[in-house]
Amino acid sequence: MAEISLTVNGERTAAQVDPRTLLSDFLRDGLNLTGTHVGCEHGYCGACTVLVDGASARSCLMLAIQADARSVETVESLSVNGAGLHPIQQAFKDCHGLQCGFCTPGLLMSVVELAATNPDCGRDEIREHLSGNVCRCTGYHHIVDAVERALNGVPGRADDS
Amino acid sequence: MTADQAPRYFGARVSRRQDDRLLRGAGRYVADINPAGVLAAKFVRSHQAHASVTSIDIDAAGASEGVRTVFVGGDFADHEIRCVSSYAAFQESAQPILAVDRVRHVGEALAMVVAEDEYLAEDASELVVADLEPLPAAVDIDAALDVGCAPLHPGWRHNAFVRRQVKTYGFDDASSSAPHRVSIELHNGRHSGIPMENRACVAEHDPGTGQFRLHTTTQIPHLVRAGLSWALGVPESLIQVIAPDVGGGFGVKAQLYREEVACCLAARQLGRPVKWVEDRREHFVAAHHSREHRHKVTGYFDDEGTILALEADIAVDMGAYSVFPWTATMDGGMAMGILPGPYRIREYSVASTSVCTNKTPYGAYRGVARPAACFSIERLMDQIARHLGVDRVEIRNRNLLTGGDYPWRSPSGLVYDSGSLIESLEAVVDLADLEGLLKCQADARAAGRLVGVGLAVFTEQTAHTTQEFKQRGVPIVFGYETAKVRLDASGTAVVSASIHDHGQGLETTLAQIAADRLGLALEQVRVTYGDTEQVAYGAGTFASRSAVLAGGAVTKAADAVADTLREVAAHILEAAPEDMVVESGRVSVAGSPSRFIETSELCRLIYQRPERLPEGVEPHLEASRTYDAHPGTGAYTNAAHLASVEIDPLTGKTRVLSYAVVEDCGPMINPTIVEGQIFGGVAQGIGTALFEEFLYDEAGQPLSTTFADYLVPVMSDIPDFRVAHLQTPSPHTIGGLKGMGEGGAIAPGAVIASAVEDALSHLGAVIVDRLPLTPERVLGYIDAANSSGASA
Ligand code: FES
Ligand code: FES
Repeated sequence: MAEISLTVNGERTAAQVDPRTLLSDFLRDGLNLTGTHVGCEHGYCGACTVLVDGASARSCLMLAIQADARSVETVESLSVNGAGLHPIQQAFKDCHGLQCGFCTPGLLMSVVELAATNPDCGRDEIREHLSGNVCRCTGYHHIVDAVERALNGVPGRADDS
Repeated sequence: MTADQAPRYFGARVSRRQDDRLLRGAGRYVADINPAGVLAAKFVRSHQAHASVTSIDIDAAGASEGVRTVFVGGDFADHEIRCVSSYAAFQESAQPILAVDRVRHVGEALAMVVAEDEYLAEDASELVVADLEPLPAAVDIDAALDVGCAPLHPGWRHNAFVRRQVKTYGFDDASSSAPHRVSIELHNGRHSGIPMENRACVAEHDPGTGQFRLHTTTQIPHLVRAGLSWALGVPESLIQVIAPDVGGGFGVKAQLYREEVACCLAARQLGRPVKWVEDRREHFVAAHHSREHRHKVTGYFDDEGTILALEADIAVDMGAYSVFPWTATMDGGMAMGILPGPYRIREYSVASTSVCTNKTPYGAYRGVARPAACFSIERLMDQIARHLGVDRVEIRNRNLLTGGDYPWRSPSGLVYDSGSLIESLEAVVDLADLEGLLKCQADARAAGRLVGVGLAVFTEQTAHTTQEFKQRGVPIVFGYETAKVRLDASGTAVVSASIHDHGQGLETTLAQIAADRLGLALEQVRVTYGDTEQVAYGAGTFASRSAVLAGGAVTKAADAVADTLREVAAHILEAAPEDMVVESGRVSVAGSPSRFIETSELCRLIYQRPERLPEGVEPHLEASRTYDAHPGTGAYTNAAHLASVEIDPLTGKTRVLSYAVVEDCGPMINPTIVEGQIFGGVAQGIGTALFEEFLYDEAGQPLSTTFADYLVPVMSDIPDFRVAHLQTPSPHTIGGLKGMGEGGAIAPGAVIASAVEDALSHLGAVIVDRLPLTPERVLGYIDAANSSGASA
């Protein structure tokens, strides 16, 4: 067992973890933050995406101990129950950017990063930037609408289509 | 609501009820569920495609840290999954829960390790040593059917689950007198739905009551309960199946799986909950496969291109076992039925073989056989057009059914209720700007680029029930869905349904229907599903049925509850029940809106002041109804798709440049949700067309076991879509609704093959006859086109 101390969604957290524990399992089972989903455990699908020190990371490819002394943000950081949705979440809702919702938390975290690093994307660039997050339900069109709306305030409302 | 009132929510683009919780990461999927004392299961799976099980050594695994028990086949030998078709000469197979003496595909489970956590279970699973004696593997249709191939199941005569043959009386005359014929052979790669959430289940058993509770990633909770009841030998009253939030299904989660049975048995034996969460590699080899069809089709036609007769020989590689509840005949039967498609074809001869091989068993995937059928008939139409030098749109217009043809009895016996085929084709030509695309193609060709345009038209049988499924030979006839509507004392409604929502938005669309019928605000209606304790029975969500059948059941149940409201309100307001209007949160007297009672107040009175009720009315605002869309032959949605592609001549990589859909699914409850379903289906269909395939080597070893070898479309592979709607109501269904969940996925294989062929047409003649169109295959077609062009 190893002792780690990190910040998760703004809160200081200390824990004893088995050195082989994946960050995704630590978040889900250790901290009960089940919004982070696991779709492949081999770094492909992006469902497990979280932000580590502000940069997107595959939590299925990281060990919990690698997050020691760092700051991790998960989907649960975007809005707390009772408060309104984060503008990116609201854009996904307005544009029907989700169906089963399984890919959604990871995708939202990738969009948070995109909004911070490259907010002037057009539709093609959005598609390039987010091609590491697989969605099997939506066919992506409404996701691109949502991201466009969130980034640029471009009217990508579902009822315009 | 009464018939002459305009609905408030039906047809509106309201946003979805479930989105807030899913967006906050507060969804509750099976992997998120951890009852107290839960143990973790890990399956040890065969690495051989076909072998005798000589011995399995579990001693080291059993002694490994944290392990509670290791189960092997003998422990569960009294249980199996058997799904028997009523077709004559069907050969039965039994899926053992864990392999006993034989494994029949890579990925078949040999042992189940149950330990304190997933990591410890996985450690121990690596210590299980199975001694397998390899047997020759039958890894494709021809090898399995070869007379020299030993039957894969005891007592079998050959390796076909079933062979069936149908011919119309006039076929021989029509085909022999036809002036032209074209034959093609078409291959569809093996692939499946690949939901982003893998399978998972958590089994609990209460030794006091004997009750099982299974949380599982399923689309069909009641059918899983039925199958478990048979496999466990326990009555349904002692089994509760719950499907909470499910991360996509697409058919692959519409079956009973052996892991579900195993977890129930282990939980009972160990007295603790047992949880299994599949990993992606397991999903590729153990979750059911789909789509692998081979069709040989011949079209017989006259000088105008009018089809006089159609002949087809269908073979489907069903893998090792017949699956529950579909049997191993579903795809072969569906393809036989729908292959003539949207065309006025009267004479038909078809044979269909469901082949048993040493591959993962074969189940449902969005569209079930229709993508392969559409690929065949649409590829054939393109070849007929080419043979006669007629335009591809024109050849279709000459053969498509028109309004006057409905109801149309197809030569396979399906009854198409309605449609707008020619109109949808005309509309998609406009929507996609075919003229503009052809001009771009000409410019691109002049610049040496390979650009093509493709199209397809299809009709989709949806919401078919008793009449259809009784002919399919399945042991359970999926005849109806059930909904229960309850108004409570605060005047809000709970709607429970036998369907499941794993992305289709039914939590919202059923609320839209109920809110209109009960005159409530959308927020006052809560929709629940996925729990066998909530409604009596039903089949679940598959075959584009849920909006039509559950929507109809909700309408009937809500109307029954509204009738009670009218009756009591009429008594209180001293008016006639038939003059009562249920609308906008109140029940009022028609024509005198000032005479009303608030619905919430009325509900409170009914439950809490029974002395105010009229004689003989029960203090009860709940109704449960079933709906079967009589006569059960299906409501037929139709669509036309048109796309353009560009091929990189050096790499063979095909890129979809544009994709347009005109769809007619009748009146739409929520057009935004309809469009989301179309887009999602088309993207999966682009996967079918270009990327997705489970490849095997000659020994039956799967070569596609990670997302690095099995490619799914990512955001940059998919273009923006254009979509438009026509709305021809079904004469059979409540509200004229037609289903549409599968439609998007049906045509893209045909459309993109047509576009790729078109992109190469100036080089030389080639028939694009195999999916997916991977870069290697496309390079092969380019070479073939070039050499046919050079020799021409
Ligand atoms: S679960 Fe981490 S990338 Fe798929
Ligand atoms: S919404 Fe289901 S995978 Fe994206």
